[in-house]
Amino acid sequence: MLDAFFQGAHQVFAFDTLLYMLIGSVAGIVAAAIPGFTVTMAIILTLPLTFAMEPLQGISVMLAVYVGGYTGGLISAALLGIPGTPSSVATTFDAFPMARNGEPGRALSLGVWASFFGTIISTLVLIVAAPPLAIVAVRLGPWEYFSLIVFALTIVASLVGNSLIRGLIAGVIGLGLATIGPDPMMGRPRLTFDMDLLSPGLPFLVVLIGIFAISQLLGEVEVHGKKVNHALIPKSIDFKTWEVMREVLGRPVNLIRSSMVGVVIGALPGAGGSIANLLAYDQAKRSSKTPEKFGQGIADGVVASEAGNSATAGGGLIPLISLGIPGSAVDAILMASLMVHGVSVGPRLILDHADLVYGMFIALTVASFMMLVVCVASMRLFLRVTDIPKQFIVPTVMICCVIGAFALNNRVGDLYLLGIIGLVGYILKCLDYPLAPLVLGVILGPIAETNLRRALMSDGDWTVFLTRPISALFLAAAVLSVIFSIRSIWKAHKKDNGQKGAVV
Amino acid sequence: MTANTPKPAAADALASAATRARNELARLVSYIVFGLSAVYCAWRASALPASRWEPLGAGSFPKLVFIVLAVLCLFAAIKSVIDIQRNGGMPEAVYAFGRWLKIRRISFAIYGLLVVYLAVLSTLGFSLATFGFLLIAQLLIAGVTRRTVIQSVIAALVFSFGLNMLFADVFNVFLPRGVLIAF
Repeated sequence: MLDAFFQGAHQVFAFDTLLYMLIGSVAGIVAAAIPGFTVTMAIILTLPLTFAMEPLQGISVMLAVYVGGYTGGLISAALLGIPGTPSSVATTFDAFPMARNGEPGRALSLGVWASFFGTIISTLVLIVAAPPLAIVAVRLGPWEYFSLIVFALTIVASLVGNSLIRGLIAGVIGLGLATIGPDPMMGRPRLTFDMDLLSPGLPFLVVLIGIFAISQLLGEVEVHGKKVNHALIPKSIDFKTWEVMREVLGRPVNLIRSSMVGVVIGALPGAGGSIANLLAYDQAKRSSKTPEKFGQGIADGVVASEAGNSATAGGGLIPLISLGIPGSAVDAILMASLMVHGVSVGPRLILDHADLVYGMFIALTVASFMMLVVCVASMRLFLRVTDIPKQFIVPTVMICCVIGAFALNNRVGDLYLLGIIGLVGYILKCLDYPLAPLVLGVILGPIAETNLRRALMSDGDWTVFLTRPISALFLAAAVLSVIFSIRSIWKAHKKDNGQKGAVV
Repeated sequence: MTANTPKPAAADALASAATRARNELARLVSYIVFGLSAVYCAWRASALPASRWEPLGAGSFPKLVFIVLAVLCLFAAIKSVIDIQRNGGMPEAVYAFGRWLKIRRISFAIYGLLVVYLAVLSTLGFSLATFGFLLIAQLLIAGVTRRTVIQSVIAALVFSFGLNMLFADVFNVFLPRGVLIAF
């Protein structure tokens, strides 16, 4: 075992491997910082470049892109209020208000440190608990998955913002949008109204860009009073590297809980960083003594969301290494890169290629350190974005969104969808509808429907959802979550009424 | 100050009530649009044939979702009508709607420009269409002066032709070429 560990370490710490990893880390951060470009796209672009490398060298480079990509989404989320990737949706809730309140450096720094610690914690869990967690993850059937999604949907209650009913409407609109296009089980076209534009369905990324990015950018050029053309974030910038590190470490419960949420969600096939990001944020808000401060730029919100999404990197590797089952699209590409080199991925991977597996553990750790160094060293450069006047940044980011939506499937039709969804998103934003529940609905809708139909296809009895222990556990958690949310909303309402009474 | 002039606090309260009525009117319209669309979609989903292989079929889930949406919109619309009545009724709301549009005139202008840009993108090609979009959008936001025109032309050139070259040569992602095949 120790031989294999040293062999892996020897390959990862080779000069050329470290150099390629550094380039990969920078590429991942930059790609994910552009709205519309996902970690998956960055990994796909990297894959052909690794064919000529040794298997461990290739996968180390891809892991560097992966870890860098999960952090890169933070940059546009914090500075522009636009999630760079689907896995940084919840990051916008507190990082952007914090940046707007004059602390863009602190917002980025918190996110970077939380991502770093999240990845490190997930790597530790990966090393210790890979086999038992993988066995549990694989035992989950459609009943458990559906119950998990029901639980995840209860997050909507804590993302509703000013109005519960508008939050619920937005969440259900998201579920409805996800039903447009081919039915996920039989491929039958649904709600396409015989339009070619709708026949492939609404790509999730196009919905995300339209709803968040276009609406945010249009909101930036509203004229309240005198016409202004200053930078998006006018205050001075202070990165406060070490002070923020202590601040993140001063929240151990939040950090570990959010990382564990990321690990567990990452280990579940089909779930990923986008769900972990929202779920970790939701759990942090529920456990907080000051939940009303979430959404206004609280450090706990940034730490939870970034630790949650970054921890899925290690979590996703658990079923991949132990059982040869990829937890997400990115893990599937990592698996493909190993298969290209003739490495058979499955339960025997750790027995036949122990050096490779230990090398992956080491590479993941090295990649997270590299991400940290690259971010700390180059953050001042990224922060220059805040100095650029609106006249340049708004149209240019809009063009990046258009390229991102087009590059997804090389389909001009997706651009028309982007235009329509962008307008809907902007109007919803103007009318004070919370946008996060809508995106959550679009993410979770197809998973919920597929698993519900699969469950009922194999056994038409609805009580099975309650008789299977893990499924019943998730449903009980969902019920508790709803009760907790109603109690919180009722308490907030009572507090508001009390304050109004005091004023009168 | 004459006796007829409203006191500042009272004027603020009136304006605030009008704003609330305006917001609620706009929301009421959205609830009605979403509600009616949900009813239509639920009806379309229920017309989908049942499956022989599974109890639910393709139409059940969307039908359930859209019925829930329609019910939520109905509740929201009733609450909205009550709120509008409390805050001065429809005439105040219609007056305030004009101001709502005025605040967002540049946003809607940029959106209109985006629609035109997306419509001509495949014909003109990425470089030409993007150059035009960036130039006009930048001048719309910053205003037309000699300085902003020069800055906007340079930025538009870099992020249209430059970006196209970057994607084609470095990432091997080919954006629509349109009439400019050579690019």
